[in-house]
Amino acid sequence: MTALTPEVRPSVLSSVRHARIGPWLFVAAVAAVVFAFIGPAQFMNALTLGAIYALVALGYTMVYGIIELINFAHGDVFMVGAFTSMFVLTNALGQKSPEHDIVRLIFLIVAAMLITMVVMGVLGVLIERFAYRPLRNAPRLAPLITAIGVSYILQNAIQILFGPSPVTSPQLIEPTARVNIMGQEVSWLRIFIILSSIGLMIALQVFVNRTKLGRAMRSTAQDREAAQLMGVDINRTIAATFFIGSALAGAAGVINGLYFGNIQFDLGFQAGLKAFTAAVLGGIGNITGAALGGFIIGFVEVMAGSFGFFVWAQAFVFAVLIITLVFRPAGLFGQQIGERA
Amino acid sequence: MKLRTFSALAVVTLMVAAACGSASSKTLKIGITLPLSGGAAADGQPTAKGAQLAVDEANTKGGIGGWKLQVVPLDHAVSGKYNEQQGAQDMRTFANDKAVVGVVGPYNSAVAKVQIPISNDAGLLQCSPANTNEGLTKPEFGALDYRKNFPTRINYIRVATTDDIQGPSMSVYAYNTLGLRKLLIVDDVTTFGKGVADNFQTKWEALGGTTVLRQGANSDTKDFNSILDNPAVAGNPPDGVYYGGVVTSGAGLLLKQLRQKGMTIPFLGPDGIVNGSGADEGSLIKVAGTAESANSYGTIAAIGDFPAKADFTARFTEHFKADSEFKTPGAYSGPAYACATVILKSLEEFLKTNANADEAAIREGVRAYASDPSHTFATVLGNTSFDANGDTTQKIISFYKTDPAAKNGVGDWLFKEQQDFGQVGG
Repeated sequence: MTALTPEVRPSVLSSVRHARIGPWLFVAAVAAVVFAFIGPAQFMNALTLGAIYALVALGYTMVYGIIELINFAHGDVFMVGAFTSMFVLTNALGQKSPEHDIVRLIFLIVAAMLITMVVMGVLGVLIERFAYRPLRNAPRLAPLITAIGVSYILQNAIQILFGPSPVTSPQLIEPTARVNIMGQEVSWLRIFIILSSIGLMIALQVFVNRTKLGRAMRSTAQDREAAQLMGVDINRTIAATFFIGSALAGAAGVINGLYFGNIQFDLGFQAGLKAFTAAVLGGIGNITGAALGGFIIGFVEVMAGSFGFFVWAQAFVFAVLIITLVFRPAGLFGQQIGERA
Repeated sequence: MKLRTFSALAVVTLMVAAACGSASSKTLKIGITLPLSGGAAADGQPTAKGAQLAVDEANTKGGIGGWKLQVVPLDHAVSGKYNEQQGAQDMRTFANDKAVVGVVGPYNSAVAKVQIPISNDAGLLQCSPANTNEGLTKPEFGALDYRKNFPTRINYIRVATTDDIQGPSMSVYAYNTLGLRKLLIVDDVTTFGKGVADNFQTKWEALGGTTVLRQGANSDTKDFNSILDNPAVAGNPPDGVYYGGVVTSGAGLLLKQLRQKGMTIPFLGPDGIVNGSGADEGSLIKVAGTAESANSYGTIAAIGDFPAKADFTARFTEHFKADSEFKTPGAYSGPAYACATVILKSLEEFLKTNANADEAAIREGVRAYASDPSHTFATVLGNTSFDANGDTTQKIISFYKTDPAAKNGVGDWLFKEQQDFGQVGG
């Protein structure tokens, strides 16, 4: 892109027409093979797990894309999101068991999602404002260590507030409620999780590609100083990135609580590590890559369990990462799409 | 000069501070090494209080042989889970404190593995109320690795029986009493969990039971869904699940996720899952949920229905009535009380003949008396002695079942029956 030719926003139709479908066909083919291997039940397990990892991975990749910081506190924002959702549902809305009235169910889910996402977004902005912004021009090691510090602060705060044992989180959608799809019993809970997370990912993609703020984020990611010269408010853009990334982690926290029904203060460490791996696997800085990476890790874990290597699941995840990086050092989508957001 | 005055003052202050712990100079200490906080509190707290009760009662009677006794509890739970390194450090603290003449604990076999070498070197008597891994004491299972330096100087004794009895006893119960035939067996890949599950599975298959899948799952596993949907399980639905492990390593999460799949089959486990009512932080019933915990069975590797139980429960409840939680005895409160009794009795007997012994001599005297197989102790659990490896001669397994309606509807474990494996030996 040169400064002389004004950027013309492509129409939705032309974006669809120009989308690279090759990689997606490949992904679909691999998914079909995997489906045949592990069967529908495990396939759904992997999709659900992958959706949670993918949502968390988006925050890692966005923050890295824009300020090249590995935000280690992000996994813990996800954990705080799970606790916020639990707190909102049980203490503020008084809901402890599955809700069978569909109208109230939708209200509760939307309320939990919105409140958690906004609160986590604000938390993310505060973390950026007070922990990272003062260090923006410091050597890169300084914010990295700060991020680890923030991670421990969040963990310990939750541990003190809610104790170290698993805490029961209300499962609004009855986990045993199932629907028959082509002869296969699938639980509503999983359908909700997969659809809502894919919806959020698409919304993010549209936001980044088709709004002014999204364009500001992309330009800041490409060249911060040039963007500033062109009139982009850097601080506001970076704060917005943290808000969106953390809100998505909050949404993942809500989903995690609905899915497992149990949350624990150390939830964020493992999930954060896997989500970070997902972001690197997909090509850190790339949104599509992070989402795809999350699903891949979900599948690798479940497949390891399915073939009797449950204890080795984590080792397999990192083996896949290493093999991928050997052949594509920038990650799956690292080079194919130049832009980062 | 000024500096010297200051340092002298500092030394005096330090000495006062050190002495503050003990009321008089004639005080001996009984250490308690258990996980006492967080998710492990449901395991550790009621157990620690059992030992505390015994020592408090001895003090009320005027101490032993002119000595006052003081309980020193050290907590080795880190972030709510037992931690081996912290356990080792606590045992070193006890070993270096001359006034400590005996230690009650630990709770988890993995902690015992790192503590025994330290207490063995120090010649410090350690009595575990709850350790069941057979490898801790029996040379044929590798116990000599832990008491390497003084293999014949037994300093580790226990009042709970071992997993080579606990595991198989549940197989028999599952096969005969519950009538199960096909099981999914999961363990947490720890010293205790894998060990007891191995013992369980061997006997289970010898009885003719089928194992549809045996799966290890690290103790930080949060998602068991892919085990429950494993083709081996889905294609051959089990009629029960056995979990070798403890609640902090995943028993509660596995049970909850099992119920979410709509599987209401019996959930079985060793003493690691029988840890308090639905009101207790970190208990199986609380983590899995009261309704979800229905139809769960667990063992306790000690006598559950001991003769003086009603009296013990009454004394315990009276003594700790002012506490905010853990006011009633847990499954291992009685065994901890028995452990403290053994230590106190050994101390009493030793002081009878060696009234003027110093602290080091008392420590050795207590160890020698307690570990002598010819001595029998009258404990709250009944008469017990310790064999040449330090294992109790009382080999009783108790069976418990969850009752979601108990304790005002939050759920609790109810004692079902106990079996004596003393004749079998082993």
